[in-house]
Amino acid sequence: MKFALEARQLKKQYQDKLALKGLDLQIEPGEIFCLLGQNGAGKSTTINLFLGFIRPTSGAAYINGLEVAANPIKVKEYLAYIPENVMLYPNLTGLENLALFSNLASFDYSQEELMTYLVQAGLPGEAAKRKVGAYSKGMRQKVGIAIAVAKHAKVLLLDEPTSGLDPKASNEFSELLLQLSANGTAIFMATHDIFRAKEVGTRVGIMREGELVDLLGTTELNANELEKLYLNYMHA
Amino acid sequence: MVKSIAQKEFISTLRDRRFVVLSVLVLLLLLAATVVGLYSYHTQQQERDVAQQTVNHQFQNSADRHPHRMAHYGSYAFRPKSSISFLDFGLDSYTGASVFMEAHRQNSANFSQAQQSSSLIRFGEMTVAFVLQMLLPLLIIFLCFSTFTQEKETGTLKILLSQGVSLREIAWAKIAGYGKTVALVVGPALLIASLLLFGRSGFEWHTDVLVRLLLFIGFYLVYFFIFVVLSVVVSGVHQRSSTALVTLLGIWILCCVIIPKASANLGNTLYTTPTRAQMDADVHEEVAKGIDGHNSQDARAEAFKKELLQKYGADSLSQLPVNFDGIIMAVGEEQSTKVYREYFAELTDIFQKQNRVSEWAGFLNPYLAVRNLSMGMAGSDFPHYLHFQNEAEQYRYHLAQSLNHIQTTRLKYKDKTTRLSADTWKELAPFTYEAPPVQWALGSHLISLVALFLWLALVCTLGLRLIDKIQIA
Repeated sequence: MKFALEARQLKKQYQDKLALKGLDLQIEPGEIFCLLGQNGAGKSTTINLFLGFIRPTSGAAYINGLEVAANPIKVKEYLAYIPENVMLYPNLTGLENLALFSNLASFDYSQEELMTYLVQAGLPGEAAKRKVGAYSKGMRQKVGIAIAVAKHAKVLLLDEPTSGLDPKASNEFSELLLQLSANGTAIFMATHDIFRAKEVGTRVGIMREGELVDLLGTTELNANELEKLYLNYMHA
Repeated sequence: MVKSIAQKEFISTLRDRRFVVLSVLVLLLLLAATVVGLYSYHTQQQERDVAQQTVNHQFQNSADRHPHRMAHYGSYAFRPKSSISFLDFGLDSYTGASVFMEAHRQNSANFSQAQQSSSLIRFGEMTVAFVLQMLLPLLIIFLCFSTFTQEKETGTLKILLSQGVSLREIAWAKIAGYGKTVALVVGPALLIASLLLFGRSGFEWHTDVLVRLLLFIGFYLVYFFIFVVLSVVVSGVHQRSSTALVTLLGIWILCCVIIPKASANLGNTLYTTPTRAQMDADVHEEVAKGIDGHNSQDARAEAFKKELLQKYGADSLSQLPVNFDGIIMAVGEEQSTKVYREYFAELTDIFQKQNRVSEWAGFLNPYLAVRNLSMGMAGSDFPHYLHFQNEAEQYRYHLAQSLNHIQTTRLKYKDKTTRLSADTWKELAPFTYEAPPVQWALGSHLISLVALFLWLALVCTLGLRLIDKIQIA
């Protein structure tokens, strides 16, 4: 079977630190996989390896069956990425930012189509024509989501996307992820937010010191049990 | 892809108030330098035209004189300014504007702008070339220093790359975007300069001027392109905007201030020029070894006399079919000219060697390469000055020998009383000067030309290889 995302014995060594210790992972289309872990646990390293921004020391990362390191540009056709803090181009409007990034992904949308994507992502229509420099973090995050959605990516890589968002914005974001997942998009989300992970995730992985120490379905336990389990691992 | 990012850079920059303020300032400086340069060119050219016409008229309408007296009366050659020298004054302000052409001695050009102006000229002049060579690179640096570092600091670089764009494509797009922005600042000023040049009254259309202007603009475009690529690459290899800015300002100081001064000083130290007094004394001593045209009793003149009498089978000089006084003058002129030319050639050689140091330094620094090419195209460099000096010397020698020939053929031996009328002087064509063509000017700066294009190749290949190695995560 062709997985949307796959890691095979994926390792990354930074000089004297082993940041990722042979990760094995498969994520299917439509799945929302949440990776929990403290700062420095290896979550961002994993995302960077899937994005092809760093080369693995050994092992391989695959997107839609293609090895990332061997096809760094080709795999980008299948993925979209939303960082923790979406900083767009402040001198361009939300619409212009979306038009630029869509264009780079070879999509040439009309103004109406672009506006639809932004509104769908939760950005008020009147804000779309204002310069991004005046946007709040939540508004920028919504443009980031619109960029990802407009790309029609098969895989969505999210690096702590709800960090700093107010509860309303976080909820809207969760709903959008569920919609994308229902359409077959595989979502890989690195997060500290246990409750969000339990709410939207289909599976949760716990990472500690570069190692995936547990992998469980979100139906197996409730949020409190998940939190307890997570804290146990962190204090172990 | 490249087009989209380039357009984004262009629009973002135009919407940046800092850029607008800086660009308007630079554009105003360029326009001011163009207008001031053109005014200065007009004034000086007019003065020189009038002066040349006046001395030509005075020479051709001189009172009745003995031809040799006329040779001492002499004439002046005024150096016409090149049509596009208003864009780059080059050495024009420091080299002389006129040469006094007289019998027996070669004079160097005198009455430079610097000699006639206040000491403020030593601080440099605000010319179009100054703005283009020194200030435009600074504007480019302030525009581009954060182009990559800011994307790294804000994380937009990751989003860009996740869209399937390569680092090299981003770099080229940025270069294209900033190139367009720089063209927006420089374009209007150069367009106005061209319109002022070709539209002014009395302008004589010449392909050479057009080619020189196009090359002048072309060389600066290459120079700006080098700075844009350099700035983008430096921004790419740094992680922080502040360190990228410091590095780029360091490069600017090195290229535009330190290396030019150091290479000029090195040239002066390696190849020292003799003092004016020393050179005059040496020339005088050497000339004195030859025949003195004014003294026919001189021992060397005596030997020549015997030789001539023998040749014509005559017993005395008065029996010769030609005037011996004129012949001895011609021979003396030939000998003294040879001595002067040798000394001037040696001096010129030293100056050229000094200049060569700066030209070779162009391989270390694109500023020096473009500076030499700019002066070359504007006709305000040392080779153009030298060309004029040589033409004036050729004319001086021709004038002196023509007057000696008149004395030899129209006056009798020992005749010092006959005076020839102004009609005689009208037979002598006045001094006219035509500047060398553009290919000659290019040939004089081959080293700088190669250096500039080598810089272009270097930043486009090595620079962009560094871009490929940018650390993303």
